Amino acid sequence: MTVSAIEFSRLGPPKLRLYAMRCGSCNTLQPWWEKFHCYACGAERLTEEELAGTGELTNYTVVYYPPRDFLGQEPYVVGHITMDEGVVLPAPVVDTALEDVQLGTRVKATLRRMKLGHEGDVYYSQKFVLDTPGAEA
Amino acid sequence: MRVGVLGIGKTPHKIQHNKSLRDLIVEAGRTAISDAGVSPSDIQMLYVGNVGSVGFNYENSTGLMAAHHLGVVPAGAVRVEAACGTGAWALHLGVVAIASGLYDTVMVVGAEKMNDLATVEGTSVIAQAADSKEEYFSGLTFPSGVALTARKYMQTYGLTEEDLAHTSVKNHHYGARNPYAHLRFECTVEEVMRSAKVADPLKLYEVCPMTDAGSALVLCREEILKDQPDKPQVYITATAMASGTWYAVSDGLEDAHKLFAEPAAKAYAMAGVSAGDIDVAEIYNSFAIQEPLGIEGLGFAEQGKGWEGAADGSTWIDGKVAVNLSGGLLCKGHPLGATGSSQAVDIIEQLRGTAPEGIQRKDAAIGISACRGGPGAVGAIHIYQREG
Repeated sequence: MTVSAIEFSRLGPPKLRLYAMRCGSCNTLQPWWEKFHCYACGAERLTEEELAGTGELTNYTVVYYPPRDFLGQEPYVVGHITMDEGVVLPAPVVDTALEDVQLGTRVKATLRRMKLGHEGDVYYSQKFVLDTPGAEA
Repeated sequence: MRVGVLGIGKTPHKIQHNKSLRDLIVEAGRTAISDAGVSPSDIQMLYVGNVGSVGFNYENSTGLMAAHHLGVVPAGAVRVEAACGTGAWALHLGVVAIASGLYDTVMVVGAEKMNDLATVEGTSVIAQAADSKEEYFSGLTFPSGVALTARKYMQTYGLTEEDLAHTSVKNHHYGARNPYAHLRFECTVEEVMRSAKVADPLKLYEVCPMTDAGSALVLCREEILKDQPDKPQVYITATAMASGTWYAVSDGLEDAHKLFAEPAAKAYAMAGVSAGDIDVAEIYNSFAIQEPLGIEGLGFAEQGKGWEGAADGSTWIDGKVAVNLSGGLLCKGHPLGATGSSQAVDIIEQLRGTAPEGIQRKDAAIGISACRGGPGAVGAIHIYQREG
């Protein structure tokens, strides 16, 4: 993805955080991009809410042909994490053998380099690692 | 509603390094104009379906480019874009333009020139059809987004990877017989299973190739075609569009089903036919799992059973309904903006009885095309009927 420095300054900082949008009307938690209206009930009052960072891998795939900015990371696991707060977020799962990943695996968030743009734009954001008791993130 | 199909045209679907986007537009467009027996100056409005010329070809204003080089100036011309549903949306606008009574003759062209870029660059352009700034920020691609749907479907309905592989076997059986298809070889379940992994559980033979192609239709008022009884009497009798979620996280199996089921119900009512009347169907299958989803959405099978027809023969050429006799996107390839119009052209050939040997359904009289985009965001249904 090609971005300008101006766009990078807008897109980059929010990606460092792990948050979701809480609907002020039906109380549903929505992914961070649902900032205009609630996808469940349509209400327009949503507020940002930080997440604790733990959840369960409820769907996943292994990407063998990545987009340009992820070249060198393949094959990588990317999936849907159902956070303990209930919202489903898309994210990569890293630092694990492919065969150790399965539906229901407990995972926790960790701040990592997400991808390298070809114009020197480096994005950091939340990836997930296996949430093994006692293991370092 | 009845809109006459006066002419159709298409280019081969393949990697065509010797042709530019405008070459594909003009080749398909001129073929349709010639088939219609009209001249470019008879065209009163031009709808050009093209998804990614800015990304694939570093050029823009595809509608205006097409109008100039097809010689339809001063008729109005516009580019239409709705992800993978683009060609079907261009067709919808053309059909509506005639049905409104405002125009007598309009033209629809879909075209995409994808192979000027390497696969890794092309994948990035395609990913922009989803939310590349947010959801796809974390490494999703179209194949991997749909792979998540495939896993969900397989988990929910207890499908094995071998079960799904039958869909590719069927498509390749017919694709091998379609001279316009990109991939022209047959394969077995074992070969599908052995093909390279693309995005678990989807494998190479379950994924469409990136293709260069164009396809076009000249549409007219019903009376204009009726007055020319020597021409094949094929009419578009229904058009229905829908939108769904733009995000994979909110694209559940029910959502993916409704994306076709709801517009299909409207289209059947509009045409006065039912699912059981359909002889031939072209169903969007850029990834194998989307064919069973489409079969179910159109009402040809219950949810969870759409894959069975490829295994038991009921969606083969002599089956209850023949699905994707063109070889589908799995073999034709998926020239994004040209896919919807290509599905229409292939169904119309079936109804005219001019499909290539080995893929012509006997006495095909009623056909349907179903195009998906986004992939959960666009549902587009058209019904076609032959008279006489």
